[in-house]
Amino acid sequence: FQELAKYEEMEDKVVLTEKELLEDGFGEHPFYHCLVAEVPKEQWSPEEHSIVGFAMYYFTYDPWIGKLLYLEDFYVMAEYRGLGIGSEILKNLSQVAVKCRCSSMHFLVAEWNEPSIRFYKRRGASDLSTEEGWRLFRIDKQYLLKMATEE
Amino acid sequence: MASFSIRAARPEDCPDLLRLIKELAKYEEMEDKVVLTEKGIKAAAARRVGSLLTGSVALYSAFLELLEDGFGEHPFYHCLVAEVPKEQWSPEEHSIVGFAMYYFTYDPWIGKLLYLEDFYVMAEYRGLGIGSEILKNLSQVAVKCRCSSMHFLVAEWNEPSIRFYKRRGASDLSTEEGWRLFRIDKQYLLKMATEE
Repeated sequence: FQELAKYEEMEDKVVLTEKELLEDGFGEHPFYHCLVAEVPKEQWSPEEHSIVGFAMYYFTYDPWIGKLLYLEDFYVMAEYRGLGIGSEILKNLSQVAVKCRCSSMHFLVAEWNEPSIRFYKRRGASDLSTEEGWRLFRIDKQYLLKMATEE
Repeated sequence: MASFSIRAARPEDCPDLLRLIKELAKYEEMEDKVVLTEKGIKAAAARRVGSLLTGSVALYSAFLELLEDGFGEHPFYHCLVAEVPKEQWSPEEHSIVGFAMYYFTYDPWIGKLLYLEDFYVMAEYRGLGIGSEILKNLSQVAVKCRCSSMHFLVAEWNEPSIRFYKRRGASDLSTEEGWRLFRIDKQYLLKMATEE
């Protein structure tokens, strides 16, 4: 996550701890699932990492069509790109989606991220923000607290 | 003075949930017709695909799925409903006059988030504070479940909703940070799933 955050230039915003990640993903009620890409020893990174890519996903819900697969994070280390790892991860994700009876897969892409936009469009993705006018909004915790405690 | 209460939905509320989901879709479709932009028309068309589900067989299976997906062993969504006392029931004798559908999502930098999927109050019951009360309840759920923030989508032409949310501190991440929502439909998922 920290490498992907660095790519997105937001490294110091990663405040999640390993402990929370462990509990939230592998506790009694997982809030996310992950796929990882692993390479054999001969191909380990200089820092001796065998895990060179990952995808984080969870299930969301559309009241009209039911379950959806939501792709939250997707990253392959720079030195391991161009080898088909990204495509293989996406293929695995597609199999999960089909197996779990999801109607489609949703995800966000930053408008400046042209390589990713091309990568996804090649595989049939449509840009709902541009085509249908959807905008993502956020209400931060401070405002939630304000509303939660208002008379 | 109207009185109402907000509570968690129960399995027996599913018929009302389905009714309000359809009303919201109709409301969105009508709003799309008023704003004659190409985008609005495309979004309305997407909703009309959903409105093909008005045949009785499809309606029944939509109801069953809603029941199982929300109240089965692993709920994929949660709902809050707004209820009014008998004196204020609708002409069709509905006691449930508003709802919000939400679930939990995850941000790998900060952890759990509350995602607001659908939010609707019947026209005759607006302006009574029901929407604000539902949002207050959602905020309490978010705080209790240790969510860092609440996320949701709003259509760019839906100015009343945009104002409603901005008044309460919402920021438009699409405009501010350039995020775009993408979708890969099932046909393309099947293609990728079965590729050599």
